[in-house]
Amino acid sequence: MTEEEMDSRNAKSAPSTGADGVAGVHEAVLEEIQRAVLADLRPVSALASSGILTLILMIFFAATGSAVAWYLGLGGFEALHAYQRALIFPALLIASWLAAVACAREMRPASGMRMGPIAVIFCATALPLVFLMALHNYSAQNFVTEGVPCLLLGLKVAIPTGVGMVLILRRGFVLDWSRAGFAAGALSGLAGVVMLELHCPNPKAFHAMVWHVAVVVVSAVLGFALGMIADRVRIRATL
Amino acid sequence: MPAPTAPDPEYSPGLKLLMRGYQQADDKAAKALIEQVSPRLRRYFWFQAFTRRFADDLLQETWMRVHRARHTYRPGAAVLPWIFAIARYTALDHYRRTRRVELREMQVEEMPDCPAPEAEFLREAHEMDKMLADLPEGQREVLVMLKVSGMSLEEVALATSSSIGSVKQRAHRAYTKLRDVLAVGGRRG
Repeated sequence: MTEEEMDSRNAKSAPSTGADGVAGVHEAVLEEIQRAVLADLRPVSALASSGILTLILMIFFAATGSAVAWYLGLGGFEALHAYQRALIFPALLIASWLAAVACAREMRPASGMRMGPIAVIFCATALPLVFLMALHNYSAQNFVTEGVPCLLLGLKVAIPTGVGMVLILRRGFVLDWSRAGFAAGALSGLAGVVMLELHCPNPKAFHAMVWHVAVVVVSAVLGFALGMIADRVRIRATL
Repeated sequence: MPAPTAPDPEYSPGLKLLMRGYQQADDKAAKALIEQVSPRLRRYFWFQAFTRRFADDLLQETWMRVHRARHTYRPGAAVLPWIFAIARYTALDHYRRTRRVELREMQVEEMPDCPAPEAEFLREAHEMDKMLADLPEGQREVLVMLKVSGMSLEEVALATSSSIGSVKQRAHRAYTKLRDVLAVGGRRG
């Protein structure tokens, strides 16, 4: 059987314009929809383009991360050599741009391809690799005792940033809150990492690879979980 | 291979203007948009087994969501993918909701009376069901959007947030499987 024959067979089984008005849709249903829509018809201004939304998210991300670091002190930035800065900060910028694009796409239905698993794997592996290349102190002394405070400090920045991200996301119409939560969590976590890179003077590679990157992982997972809960609550509310 | 439901070139720009009018609270544009898109949406729900019984309810729910989300439509962008992306999630939420209810509900001995669905529609849907039964959900959805709702490859790609290549691949795999199913059916018949 050829594609043409299959098309013709499909076409035969597709509903045609019937006695009930518009091809298979009952007049009563159509009228009810129109009545409901017209009852609440007000002009709306279109949401900004995805590029502008990405820019807004990036500005918010950069502002929170750097403002907290400025407040706490820029010891980390001062401790880094120029080549280390040139490796670490552009990598953070690229990862956060990817997360911001993913966030902006979740705000509008049919706004383009979603970030695939390759992008997520790239982000998850690129940052630790950059830290491994940029920092040359491979000591693991006081690994946990020095690491936990950094993780907590990063999360202290990531969580309020995440709340702000959600407020921005709510300006759009998110269809899948778990995906949106993951993207917003990752971006908020990256704000935490930016703050840590500016503030934390610890030069150990494993410290940054594990504890700094963990801020992104934890906040992305947290965002995903909260998004999933939000979706479930929304579905339960309509039961 | 033109299907009767394929979008005609005059149609899509019309939808864009209607959608713009809808955003600007033009009641005529809103009514016309609902009239023009509803048949495609209903077909989309009708030709998927798990949403068929609720096609009218889902149609209404989709329009309520479209109404709440109308500010997210970008003037000049394709309208059908935007609406169908919302419809997809309406169907998905319905599926999740139904599964929750099914897990809780008890079987009754006698089925309550319910309005009989249109016999012709049901026969057509069963015929389609038989053909689509073995297809994975992703391939079935792409096929319904392409061949039943009459969307283009680009529109389906946008509505499903995937690439055109991925849509083509899924459609091709679906055709291959359907071809096999129909060939086996033909030999038996």
